[in-house]
Amino acid sequence: MALPLVGLIIGISLGIFFPLTIPVEYAKFMSVALLASLDSVFGGLRAGAEEKFDNTVFITGFFTNALMAAGLVYIGEGLGIDLYYVALLAFGLRIFQNLAIIRRYFLRK
Amino acid sequence: MLKLRQGQAAIALVCVVLGFMLAVQFRTAQDIRSSIPFQRIEDLSQRLSQTEKERDVLLKQVYELRQTTGAESATKESENIKMGAGVVAVRGTGLSITIDDSKRLSKPGENPNLYLIHDEDMLKVINELWAAGAEAISINGQRLIATSEVRCAGPTLSVNNTRYSPPYEILVIGEPQTLENSLKMRGGVIETLQFWGIQVSLKKQDVVDVPAYKGAFRFEYAKPIKDGGK
Repeated sequence: MALPLVGLIIGISLGIFFPLTIPVEYAKFMSVALLASLDSVFGGLRAGAEEKFDNTVFITGFFTNALMAAGLVYIGEGLGIDLYYVALLAFGLRIFQNLAIIRRYFLRK
Repeated sequence: MLKLRQGQAAIALVCVVLGFMLAVQFRTAQDIRSSIPFQRIEDLSQRLSQTEKERDVLLKQVYELRQTTGAESATKESENIKMGAGVVAVRGTGLSITIDDSKRLSKPGENPNLYLIHDEDMLKVINELWAAGAEAISINGQRLIATSEVRCAGPTLSVNNTRYSPPYEILVIGEPQTLENSLKMRGGVIETLQFWGIQVSLKKQDVVDVPAYKGAFRFEYAKPIKDGGK
């Protein structure tokens, strides 16, 4: 558990020191991508706890999920369909589900 | 503590990326919050119109108060000064002049500006009227005083810092025949304006009411000299 936390801290500090901001028009896509990544990480943690973890599935899932989510929202914007909220709802639901399962494993130990 | 038996390294790696995204997104969200949102602009413009309304009410009050104090000290001299300054409404014989943009369409390749009324045209008319002995002039209800400006403000005309769009109605008090002749003389202002199709209509009137200046006087730099002017 320590290694992911260290990774997270490194990532946050990197992000703070990099003077990078997303233009306001793209902030929407970034937030969806971020939610997808969060979902992937919690999914990975859950899989790790369930001992069903697969390295390739996890890594590819992380990147494709994020990119696909942002891409879908972009396409939705073009079509006039607000997929943004759909993505928020879907990923949000999954994150909370995963969190609940992780909590159960956490308590069992 | 939750024991991860597999994939520690992969999750850690992904967490680096996730952390990076988190930090960037956090900063972006803060940027969005600190920039002026559209709603704020709307809010401000609404407040501006409200303040303008309040200003108009206050101006009216100033005007009314000035009228009541004026009734008490109605000596001939102060009356004259007030009429000269334009703070009282005046009545007399004169003209009402209406000026409107040209109805004629500009030919291709021609500057459409030529067919619109400009501040210069208005100034020419007003200048001619003063020269013909006009005693009081108002444009669309704005009394012209010593500090009045007549100036283009986009497609509108700004008089006493209030904007008007065409048609413009000029009320002028003076000897009607002289005033009319001054404008209608050959090669005069009206002839020039009508060349471009600008519509000018004159009406001689026995009773013209020119309103008072409703604004406030503000002297920031000018101070009276004690024994000057005598």
